Amino acid sequence: MSEYKLKSKKYHGGFKSLIKDWMIGFLFVALFAICCLNSNFRTTTNIMNVFRQASFVAIIAMGEFFVILIGEMDMSIASTIGMVSIFFASFTVNRGYPIWLSFLLVIGMAAIVGVVNGLLVVYGKMPSFIGTLVVLNMLKGINYIFSDGLPISGLPDSFGQMALGKLGVIPFAVILMVVVAVILYIFTSHTAVGRSFYAVGGNKEASKLSGINVNKIALLAFVMCGILSAIGALGLTSKTQSGNVTLGDSLLFDVMTICVLGGTSLTGGRGRVVGIVIGALFLQVITNIMVLMGINTYWQWVVKGIILVSVVLIDSYSKKD
Amino acid sequence: MALAVKEGANRMSDMKADITPLIQVKNCTMEFPGVKALSGVDFTLLPGECHALVGENGAGKSTLSKCITGENHMTEGELFVKGEQIKISSYGIKESQSRGIAIVHQEFALMGDMTGVENIFVGRYESNFGFVDWKALDKHAQELMNVLKCDVNLHVPIKNLRTAERQIIQLAKALLDDPQIVILDELTAVLQEKDILNIFRIIGTLKEKGIGIIYISHRLDEVFKCCDSYTVLCDGRYINSGRVSDIDYNQLVKMIIGRELANIYPQLNENVGDVILEVRNLTAPKAFRDINLQVRAGEVVGLAGLLGAGKTELVQAIFGNHKIISGEVLVKGKAIHVKKPFQAIKLGMGLVPDERRTLGLNMKFDIKDNTTLPSMKRFKKMSIFQDHKAESMAAFEINNKMRLSYYSLWQNVKKLSGGNQQKIVIAKWMLRDTEIFLLDEPTRGIDIGAKFEIYNLIHELTMKNKAVILVSPEMEELIGLCNRIYIMYEGAITDVVEGDRKTQEVIINNLLGVNVR
Repeated sequence: MSEYKLKSKKYHGGFKSLIKDWMIGFLFVALFAICCLNSNFRTTTNIMNVFRQASFVAIIAMGEFFVILIGEMDMSIASTIGMVSIFFASFTVNRGYPIWLSFLLVIGMAAIVGVVNGLLVVYGKMPSFIGTLVVLNMLKGINYIFSDGLPISGLPDSFGQMALGKLGVIPFAVILMVVVAVILYIFTSHTAVGRSFYAVGGNKEASKLSGINVNKIALLAFVMCGILSAIGALGLTSKTQSGNVTLGDSLLFDVMTICVLGGTSLTGGRGRVVGIVIGALFLQVITNIMVLMGINTYWQWVVKGIILVSVVLIDSYSKKD
Repeated sequence: MALAVKEGANRMSDMKADITPLIQVKNCTMEFPGVKALSGVDFTLLPGECHALVGENGAGKSTLSKCITGENHMTEGELFVKGEQIKISSYGIKESQSRGIAIVHQEFALMGDMTGVENIFVGRYESNFGFVDWKALDKHAQELMNVLKCDVNLHVPIKNLRTAERQIIQLAKALLDDPQIVILDELTAVLQEKDILNIFRIIGTLKEKGIGIIYISHRLDEVFKCCDSYTVLCDGRYINSGRVSDIDYNQLVKMIIGRELANIYPQLNENVGDVILEVRNLTAPKAFRDINLQVRAGEVVGLAGLLGAGKTELVQAIFGNHKIISGEVLVKGKAIHVKKPFQAIKLGMGLVPDERRTLGLNMKFDIKDNTTLPSMKRFKKMSIFQDHKAESMAAFEINNKMRLSYYSLWQNVKKLSGGNQQKIVIAKWMLRDTEIFLLDEPTRGIDIGAKFEIYNLIHELTMKNKAVILVSPEMEELIGLCNRIYIMYEGAITDVVEGDRKTQEVIINNLLGVNVR
């Protein structure tokens, strides 16, 4: 028994690996502290705003997280977000469906997009980059055909509460993100199916020979990506109070950056849900401080690019030993 | 026997007197951390001879040839190339190449999408004002082919060529620098009879040019067909060398096996039960055909065969990981239809695949996660959540039973030794109620001590009435461990040996398809 205790003790490879595992966490704390020097940043309203804005993108990134975890990539989320936004608005405003029904319908549609991605990649054996890129473009076409590219406004105020409502000082959006993150954390580390994502991403063949239904897990990853993107997209739609096909166009880059910042291995098999949350906050704090400092959008893109490249470089060098 | 050794050695030294040997290795010792791969080996290669280097797997043939090419640095001993002593410390592949040593490996080091010409000259395109001069290269390549007297299409991507043709391109590539010493490392292992004869003819051509050839092969009959002299290694020790014409087949086999087979292997379990696994007329295109076999509870059934005989495909097919077109698999008398490994696992099968690092283990996982991967679903609380504590407890117990040496369950499996890694691959099936163990080369690339532990594990499995199918390239291992051995030749079972017929001779003859023709 005592030997069991010794060998099952969680060990960490000392200070160095602690830093490595939590690098993004430390960086975030440091960044946050520095930003607090700015008097416009450190107001409660602003900080809650940052958290609110990070929430929905974080939920979308958690969807992408599952696909990256199995070693694939989902490029189609930008169009999925646009689809969810425009169809939700159309169902609710033009057809007068109750909100809950529109909700279910668009989430179902996003799940179907996930299934299509999964079928192309898993059963069609397409590289996920190509398979989902095709879906990205076709779906974009469908969105525009459906809406003529025009936004649909006039969503009920009650729906806006999803993004703008608060419980005390804490926005609903943040509560939603925390709930989703906790559920996904429990799913990934405390269920057999959740652990299987890591196994498949770590070594597909070995997982198959160990009795994991690899195709099912991969399909599930794409479906989860679709559903979580839909939830995030609904939040973003709620914020603007209108359905818009272009809603997701600039998000793909942010989502990928968040996943990488959060320590998800792009080759699969490694990553944590909490990393995604921190990654999303990190990116949003940087964006916010740049806005407060009056840096324009184009420079923001450049800075975000530099951040992504630096993180990837640090990661690949630290792995070399 | 001792006398014969001496005579052979004398004769060798007589010959050395008048000709300068191309290669002379004296008292070579090669140590890897923890393992002595070679100890006190002597080796001499004369010009214009084909010298067979024979011995079992792990006897040190490859290590010795790597010492000669400079890939390994021998720990002790001297190396002479064409009479000149080599400074071992600074010796490397570059120097060995410039001194005229070339090696042709069994594994293909070719680019499948490039043509023969491109493959031969890759890395050394002769340029003409910065452009590749394809005409000159074509001409040069054709000259090489003329020397070899072979007609291979050099202008199609080589993935479209037959295995034998690709081997010839490898050979041509090695001959590019006009080497005087050519090492052929199991060149014929995957070739068919007709192509092997062609290789023999090429060897003859090379010999006429005064080139010395070191010929490494498992097929002992080839030694008698194309080699002039031989050196036998066993467990890293030098056993004997001499002229091939002075010995016969049986003498050579005895030298190679060296020690008695007894004691290494645990006692066979004779108390076997009912048939657990049965295979009827199983056929998969391009892999195997009409396979019939039975495995009883408590029995170890061996599968012998050369590379490409279809052994791995067969166990993979039983496990649901290789497509079959006809035939059936029965577990406990009931026909089963598995299309995916997880279905086979539910029926009580467990596969230890031949590629431990890429198929057996998840290198990104720790010991605990690797051990419990197939049985995750058994450790649940409230029927959905994983019971991590019960899981690690079970992983701890099974790994202790396997005498795994490790310091933490959360340790990554990457840095464990091969033997320890293999124990985990076996342990993960022992955690489930696996009844049929499919072991595909479980002792590949692990040291002798770990091998014995694996042998004992197999024995323990049979004592618990488990059925075991064992695939192994080592005949000795099969003979020592198996109740029955099915021998496969080019995708078909040619013979089943048990009892008195379970000898190396019978198996070797079958392996080579002697009984087929």
